[in-house]
Order: sequence, then C-alpha cells, then structure tokens
Amino acid sequence: METIFDLQNVSHSYLDKFEALKDINLTMTAGEQITIIGANGSGKSTLLLILDALIYATSGEVYAFGNPVTEERFNALEDNEFARYFRTKVGFVFQNPDVQLFSSTVFDEIAFGPLQLGLPREDVVKRTEEVMAMLALSNIRDRAPHTLSGGERKKVCIGSILSINPDVLLLDEPTGGLDPRTQLWLTELLQDLAKAGKTIITATHDMNIVEQISTRSIVFGEDHTIRADCSSTEVMNDQELLLSANLIHEHQHWHGELLHKHPHPSEGEHHHEQVAHHVR
Amino acid sequence: MIPDWMNRTETEPYHGAASVAKKKSFGKKTIDGALSFFRESLISETFAKRKGLLQSLDPRVKLISMFVLVVGVTFMTSPWVLLVIYLLTLVLAYFSKIEVLWFVKRVWVFIPIFAGVIVIPMLFNVFLAGNVLVPIATLGNGSHLGPIALPSSIYITQQGTIYVVTFILRVAACVSLAILLFLTTKQDLLFKSLRAIRVPKVYVLTISMCYRYIFLLLDTIADLFTARRSRQITSLPTREEQRWVGGRVGYMLVKSLDTSDKVHQAMISRGFDGDVKLMHDNVMHHRDYVAIVTVLACCVILALISRSIISL
Ligand SMILES: Nc1ncnc2c1ncn2[C@@H]1O[C@H](COP(=O)(O)OP(=O)(O)OP(=O)(O)O)[C@@H](O)[C@H]1O
Ligand SMILES: [Mg+2]
Repeated sequence: METIFDLQNVSHSYLDKFEALKDINLTMTAGEQITIIGANGSGKSTLLLILDALIYATSGEVYAFGNPVTEERFNALEDNEFARYFRTKVGFVFQNPDVQLFSSTVFDEIAFGPLQLGLPREDVVKRTEEVMAMLALSNIRDRAPHTLSGGERKKVCIGSILSINPDVLLLDEPTGGLDPRTQLWLTELLQDLAKAGKTIITATHDMNIVEQISTRSIVFGEDHTIRADCSSTEVMNDQELLLSANLIHEHQHWHGELLHKHPHPSEGEHHHEQVAHHVR
Repeated sequence: MIPDWMNRTETEPYHGAASVAKKKSFGKKTIDGALSFFRESLISETFAKRKGLLQSLDPRVKLISMFVLVVGVTFMTSPWVLLVIYLLTLVLAYFSKIEVLWFVKRVWVFIPIFAGVIVIPMLFNVFLAGNVLVPIATLGNGSHLGPIALPSSIYITQQGTIYVVTFILRVAACVSLAILLFLTTKQDLLFKSLRAIRVPKVYVLTISMCYRYIFLLLDTIADLFTARRSRQITSLPTREEQRWVGGRVGYMLVKSLDTSDKVHQAMISRGFDGDVKLMHDNVMHHRDYVAIVTVLACCVILALISRSIISL
C-alpha cells in the first residue's frame, strides 16, 4: 500500500512556548481508517493541521505522498504543482465550522473547492448539486452560511470538502453538535466512503463512534505524546489505557464493543445488546 | 465536589415586575448599528443582488471608472463641479435601487471625522488669511493662545469657507463613489476584478484578508456583548460601559486576528492560492463600453471646467 503520511520525530509548539505535540512517529497508508483520540488539549487538532500542511513541524520531518512537507514548498505564491496536487488529494473538515464558512451562500461554499482546483464549470455545478442533494441541503442553497444552525453549518462544512472528492479526509470532531440521528447518518456516510477506498483520519473524543469509523486508533496522552497506536478494538477494550489518557473516568465503565454493538443497517437491523453494569 | 454555596438552590417563584429598558446602552447601540449596516449591505450582499444600473455593469469597468473618478475629483478645485459629481452619485444610487436617503446618511456618518478634525479650523483667519465673512471676536493687539500669537480679531473668512466646503464635498464625493462600488458589487467579484486589472496577487490577497478581518472583528465584538449580557445583572452607566468597550478592543484585535488566520488556513486547505476563481465569467457588454467612455469623457470635461481651461 502507498504511504500517504510519514512523520518522523515530529514536535510542534505554538509561539515556541506552548507545546502541542512531542516526538511523534507515524505512518499512514492509503485506504486506512484511523481515529485520533485524546483528552482536550492533547494535540489532536494540531496533528491534523500538520497533516494538512497548514502549520509545520517545529522539529522533525513530515512527508506526504513521498515528498517532504515544508513551509517553503507550500507558501510560495507562484505556481506550485505539488501544493495543488496535495490540495486535491487531502480535504480537511475543521473543528470550528465558523472558520470554514466564508462564502456568501451555501451553493458558493460547496462550489468553492472544485472551482479553486480548476474543474470545468459544468462539472463544478454538477458536483455541487449532487453534494447538496446527498446532504439534503438543496432547500437552503441560497442562505448565507452564518445564518444556519450549528448542525446545518457542520453539514455544509462536510459538503464543501466532499465536493473536492479528496482521497484523504481529515475530520476534526465531525460529530460535535450533531443530533443523534445526524450523527448516525454521518457515521454511515464515513463507512460508505471507507468502502469506496478513501483514507479517513478522524480526531474525536466520541468513544461511541471509534470502532464504527476506524480500524486503527492512535491515542494521545496529556503529555502530547502517542500513548498507543493499535487496532481500535484493542484500544477500546483497554480500560487502563483509556483511564490513563484521561479519556474515561473511573466511575465510568467502558465495555468495549459490548456497550454499543451496531451493525451497519444493510447487514441487518440495529440492535443494542443489553449489558449488566458492574458496581465497583 | 461543588462548594457549599452552590448547594443552595432558590425555588421561590419570581414576584417582582419586569422593567423595560429606557434606552439602549452606548455599546449596544453603536455595535448594533455598525453590524446591521455591514451585515445588510456587505455580507448578505442585499444591494449587490438587486437589479439596477451599477449592478448590471462589469465589475472591472466599475473599478476602473471609480478609480478614474476619484483621481478626477482630487484634481477638481471648483466646489460647484464637486457638487455636481456628488449629486451624480446620488442619481447613480437611485438608479441602482439604493434608497437615496439611507445612502446619504451612511456617507455623511464618515465625514464629520474628517471635517471636524482636519478642516474646520481652516474656516478662521487664524489658520488661513482672507476676507471677513462672519466676525467672531475682537481680542485687541498682542493676545496669545499659549505660545501662539493671535490676530487682533477673529473671523470666519470667505476663502476659508470655500476651502472647507470644497474639501468636504471632495470627501463626500470620494466616499460616495467608494461605497457605491462596494454596495453594488459582490465581494468576490470585486477581488477577482482586482486581479483582472493586473493588481499583483499579494495585494489582492492582503486586501481580501483585511476585508474578511473587519467582519470577523465586528462579529467578535457582537459575540463579546452577547456573552457579557448573559452574565451581567445590572446595566452599567455609559462611562463604565465605554471603558469596558475600550478595555476589550485590544483583546478583540488579537482574537479576531487569530480567527482570520484560521479562515485563511481553511481557504488554503481547499486549494485557494490567492487567485480568486468564480463561476461568474467576466463578459464585457455594450453598456460596459458606453459606461467607461462616458465616465472618462465626464471626468476630463469636468476637470477642464474646474481648472477654467474651458468655460461654459
Ligand atoms: N493557537 C494556539 N496558540 C497557542 N497554543 C495553542 C494554540 N492552539 C492550541 N494550542 C495549545 O496546544 C495544545 C494542543 O491543542 P489542540 O488544539 O491540538 O488540542 P486538541 O487535542 O485538539 O483538543 P480538543 O479536544 O479540545 O479539541 C493545547 O495545550 C493548546 O492549549
Ligand atoms: Mg481539537
């Protein structure tokens, strides 16, 4: 499998003062579904920003698609072939929808990406229409994004990335602020995209979705280092690990896959298995 | 876990009467006004979406025409010619489906700042010698204001008045032209046409960042007020409130600068490289050529009249 991201001894600190990532070593290959989990402030968003070449490692090396990722290579205003290739391949849904919505209508917002990447007009219109239909946004196509509800905004953000059709999707807290039905819809969407062969990297602290949307989990500790990097099932079954990363509280019992077993609807009906609660 | 005082919970129903605020507070009034203007006119592009005269022109033509007119206006010295140009902007506003009274009010909001500070002193003979128009005071010889020696009498001069009126009209005409351009053009089209007339990428990028930054700043201010209102119990006197607003300005600048940085990142992430690409195709129509020729001709003729090179 092709290696997409390769991080070697990467650290990042904001303003040379606030440490956000420490000594990260990672490789991610095409077609993987990975969740990045960790407590608040452990560095998840920072890692995604580095993967999307929006900020750069303060030390260590980052490679994307076999090319080194450095500020000089990306910040040039001149024609920049690798940067353009990278932007078509990688899409990023930000944690805060407000920073991602800057167009004056929903339609323009979703059409922005494909237009920047130089697709022909008809294709842009077609893609935008189809994405809006898929996300049920067609009825608000002419609304200004800042007048939408939190959940609608999030949907528009996701749509604005899907219209680029990137092979690699970076999502930062995609389920934040979504109602349960929309959350379910989103996990199903991510499962479909995974089946289509996309690489999906999601930062989250929603333990309910980890196993549904990923096969591999990377756990960050509060010291901004990687605590564990293994299969999602293993991670979710490791009480000690989740406790030490401050992801769960000791009064909370995590029962791994038993708590929320949730087959995809096409494979059968939803059914939740009842679990007897232990009392410590 | 929670402190003692938090354990007390009032369950008594409310017996008082709700009072009605007599006036909006200083901050809220200012912010609401500014915000609704920007939201209405620029973010929602209410005016740009109307079907009027200026909206129908190619944005490049508008940009160039405005530039030519502004340059022209700075060369004109006759207050009458400037008045004609100012009135012309009102006519343009009318035909572009912008409420003229509203437009006039918006423009004159900006002018006292210039007029008050910069030119009003020029009315008096203290700063600009001239013929008496309105006498103000007779001081007698040898009076001083601090280290400045004052003339024996103070009056408003004829020359000063003409100077001030010309200056204000010039500012009014320029501000009106700029506001017309912004109101009748969608922002992304505007930035695209800046590129089309060969303004370097770096400048366009900077301008569009500033533009976005202003909105974020305003939004941040509004959020701050909302956030404070949710925590505030009694209303503050105006002085206090002004101080509070002042104290927040620095913080807001930093905060919105940070957000504007993130917005820029979000744009870069989706392939933005400083060149604005839009659905809209710039097509020059017949009326665009007519418009640009008319503007150029008008400008030249008015400038010549104003410099008394030709007379009517
Ligand atoms: N712009 C910034 N300036 C300074 N420090 C920052 C900045 N952004 C993040 N940090 C710091 O970097 C660390 C990691 O932040 P990051 O946003 O990556 O955490 P996170 O894991 O995404 O948290 P959350 O779950 O709350 O989103 C935190 O300690 C944070 O305080
Ligand atoms: Mg985060």
